[in-house]
Amino acid sequence: MIHVVTAANQDRYAAEMEEVWRLRHRVFVEEKGWSALRRPDGREIDQFDTPHAAHFLAIESGQVIGYSRLLPTTRPHLLSDVLPELCEGDRPAGPQIWEWTRQAVAPSHRTRGKNHPVSLEVMTGIVEWGLENGVTCFLAQMPIVYLLHVLQLHFRAVPLGVPAEIDGERIIAVEARFDARTLRKLQEIRGTKASVLAPTSPTYLMA
Amino acid sequence: MSRKRLDLTLAFLRALDRTASPQDVSELLLRLLGRFGIEHALAGTLPIIGAPPRQQYEHALLDAMPPDWKTRYLSRGYLFRDATVRHLAEANAPYAWSEIADRYREDPAALRVMNEAGEHGLRHGVTVPLLTLDGQLAGFSFSGARIEVSPEDLGTLQLVATYAFAQLVLLRSEAGAEIRLSPREREVLQWVAEGKTNWEIGEILSISAKGVEHHLRTTRSKLGTLNSTQSVAVALRRGLIS
Repeated sequence: MIHVVTAANQDRYAAEMEEVWRLRHRVFVEEKGWSALRRPDGREIDQFDTPHAAHFLAIESGQVIGYSRLLPTTRPHLLSDVLPELCEGDRPAGPQIWEWTRQAVAPSHRTRGKNHPVSLEVMTGIVEWGLENGVTCFLAQMPIVYLLHVLQLHFRAVPLGVPAEIDGERIIAVEARFDARTLRKLQEIRGTKASVLAPTSPTYLMA
Repeated sequence: MSRKRLDLTLAFLRALDRTASPQDVSELLLRLLGRFGIEHALAGTLPIIGAPPRQQYEHALLDAMPPDWKTRYLSRGYLFRDATVRHLAEANAPYAWSEIADRYREDPAALRVMNEAGEHGLRHGVTVPLLTLDGQLAGFSFSGARIEVSPEDLGTLQLVATYAFAQLVLLRSEAGAEIRLSPREREVLQWVAEGKTNWEIGEILSISAKGVEHHLRTTRSKLGTLNSTQSVAVALRRGLIS
């Protein structure tokens, strides 16, 4: 199940969020080598982990096996503050647009080749949550090799700039709209129409 | 300069939305990429080694190759000796064929494929490696007698190839139906079925009301219907929308 953790319910997820900081450190610092994020305590927390962030946790048997973070584009986020050069025109922003970052799967739950069950579950959680809460679009900066997957999942992804080389990977910023069709495609690929969202997930009230 | 590249890419994506067949996609691509000297293109997933020509051909999603070369290439099993294809498995970025000369220089069979390709007008080429959602290795190759692609343009080419490939996969999954609406036409009609006005649909899809009307018009001509209400009814009956 996907648990959405925000300021509204984070007191109930203290242990799981501890696991999140360590998973992020392991994946982004130790595996991907984003050394600027390195912390001596092995917990990767940055300036965007404010009460305004929404954390998507894939939890199985009490263990965090997958993760993504959404940041509101009405506040500072990566595209506005860290990687503005990836966006050449007007930067899309608004309450219905959130930025998707820190996609991670625990090493023990990765699969080779076919399908990516944990990533697909997290993505389904984001789309379900978005459709329920008036969020229609996410921004993402991703290696261009993943763009085909996003398109095949029926996101309408539009590039915000041309690909740029960052740390040896060709990265592209996209604005990806989604709707009921996207959810249907995700459900078709996952082979189930059951909701992935845990009942405890708070709704997002658009201000 | 890079803003111009982005605008070109966005114009291409808008045009890609209106394509309804691999033939449309191929014409659009060659028109856009002609300025790099690109004259031919081939896209598909990789068949297993030794697959017969018919099966190899089914893996092709787009074929804009000189016909005589294609026949020779498939019937002689060149696909499995082609260094530019074999390199797909280890590449994660686009490559010019000249960059991987080490792979065929010492291998007589591979060298022969490259030489014959050159004689058929495919002297230079660039291949974009792709990985589909279900984990299949795929590639998009562009070639011509003399092509010139700068390192910056290579990124654009990768972007264009990715979008074109996604559209080709979508078109193939719809190929079973007799009547083919383009993805955009279907999307517009789906919103009509939800009760949205043309103006609202334009807002949702970020296109003009005129663009919406254009899609509805082409849909009517494909379905042989008189108005949008009838289009929705026919499309629902045929399962083109839900």
